[in-house]
Amino acid sequence: MTFEQKRKIESVTALSLSGLAAAVGLFWLVYILTDVIIHGIGALNLNLFFKDPAPAGVEGGGLRNAFVGQLMITGAATLIGVPVGVLGGTFLAEYARGRKIARVISILSDIMVSVPSIVVGAFIYAIIVRPLHHFSGWAGAVALAIIMIPVVLRTTEDMLSLVPWTLREAAFALGAPYYKVIIQVVYRGAATGILTGILLSIARVAGETAPLLFTSFNNNFHSTNMNGPMASLTVTIFQYAMGPYKSWHAQAWGASFIVTLFILALTIAGRLIIKWRYRR
Amino acid sequence: MTEAVELEVKNLDFYYNGTNHALRAISLPIFRNKVTALIGPSGCGKTTLLRCFNRMHDLYPNHRYEGEIQFQGKNILGDNVDLIDLRSRIGMVFQKPTPFPMTIAENIAYGLRLKGIRQRHDLTERIERALKHAALWEEVRDKLNSSAYDLSGGQQQRLVIARALAVEPEVLLFDEPTSALDPISTAKIEELVVNLKKDVTIIIVTHNMQQAARVSDMTGFLYMGELIEFGTTEKIFTNPDKKQTDDYITGRFG
Repeated sequence: MTFEQKRKIESVTALSLSGLAAAVGLFWLVYILTDVIIHGIGALNLNLFFKDPAPAGVEGGGLRNAFVGQLMITGAATLIGVPVGVLGGTFLAEYARGRKIARVISILSDIMVSVPSIVVGAFIYAIIVRPLHHFSGWAGAVALAIIMIPVVLRTTEDMLSLVPWTLREAAFALGAPYYKVIIQVVYRGAATGILTGILLSIARVAGETAPLLFTSFNNNFHSTNMNGPMASLTVTIFQYAMGPYKSWHAQAWGASFIVTLFILALTIAGRLIIKWRYRR
Repeated sequence: MTEAVELEVKNLDFYYNGTNHALRAISLPIFRNKVTALIGPSGCGKTTLLRCFNRMHDLYPNHRYEGEIQFQGKNILGDNVDLIDLRSRIGMVFQKPTPFPMTIAENIAYGLRLKGIRQRHDLTERIERALKHAALWEEVRDKLNSSAYDLSGGQQQRLVIARALAVEPEVLLFDEPTSALDPISTAKIEELVVNLKKDVTIIIVTHNMQQAARVSDMTGFLYMGELIEFGTTEKIFTNPDKKQTDDYITGRFG
């Protein structure tokens, strides 16, 4: 066998193996997505969005409580997680740049990114739900925020580090104090990147169920009280999919479809921002 | 010599990281409304010296100044110097153009706002004046609100000069301002430097000896952290006292 033949065989083998692996991965992804779309679209109707659940086993009703709860919990999580993440990332990239503490926090936050989300749920259960003796929307929001923080923090740190140091020196050389350099020059240079990180982190938590099971729990009634148990789409999907009723299953599909669509939209928005940024 | 002295470096030593002795016993005067060039081979300390004048080294830990730099009679290396005020009086232009990620007009307004100038008509007027001063106005008058990154490298460098001029500094420091530019842009910047000296005192670090000869009135030659020779540009380039200077400017080393 000549060297060239050997090389060609190796190339074809590597190509087919990696192609096969990609096909296997894509197959399940497409399978899940089409399943969600087919069943989900069939289950969509206005009642799903505007009516609260009917009593168990009774036809009709909707998931208004879960949609409202999901939006409020995710929104509150964003309000808590984004400022902490952005400011923490700023500390690492600016004030602690090059110091040991910055490395340590970066590594810890990388570990945090891969902590199973149910652990975060159990943690919040122990420090918020137990002492207060009740589930609450706030507890769910804090749990989601804890999952968001390391994602936002690391993206912010990376994006700020990409802003050339000479740009900061130029601003200092004009007589700017450090906080103005950061807010007016560095943030502007990194804005699209940080925004993308925020969107992707929201997408990351929007599909979480485990941390909410122990924290915001569920609520069959419409509620905007963040101090009490609150419904969310993901926990509802979990409960309805396990339930015995056909109508529950249909509504779980509908909710799955909406959650998937929401996450897809956020992810695409994030990608578009990156693309738009690098075209300039 | 009868010219007024703007800055007087007196027996200046500078250390990076506590131990790296980058400048040794530097003493030289910087004359008002003159262009002073600092030349020397890479690593000789010319940029380090330049960055002492606006205390840029203070951004980094473990630096140490010894000696004095008198600015209009006051030592600017003291502990209680207001760096923000100092840097608004001694501006700086860097090697690579450093426009901020904003529009052309906002770039110039940035320094003005730092100085507390906020009124719309005042800003507009000063932006126009600064751009004219930096010989950029004709090229950008119709696109003041487009991104500064749309400009060419040479235009960006003039924008940065305009931004520095807008805050009306008394001294401008240039750190190899043309090393990233093409010859035509370089010629424009050099012409600008010569024109600006009637309004500001200029110190320019350059690798390019022809450039030093073309734009400067005074020249200092540094080598291994020491000031080997300082004098009028004419003298340094035609009849230097020291052999090392002669070797460097005739291209025998460096």
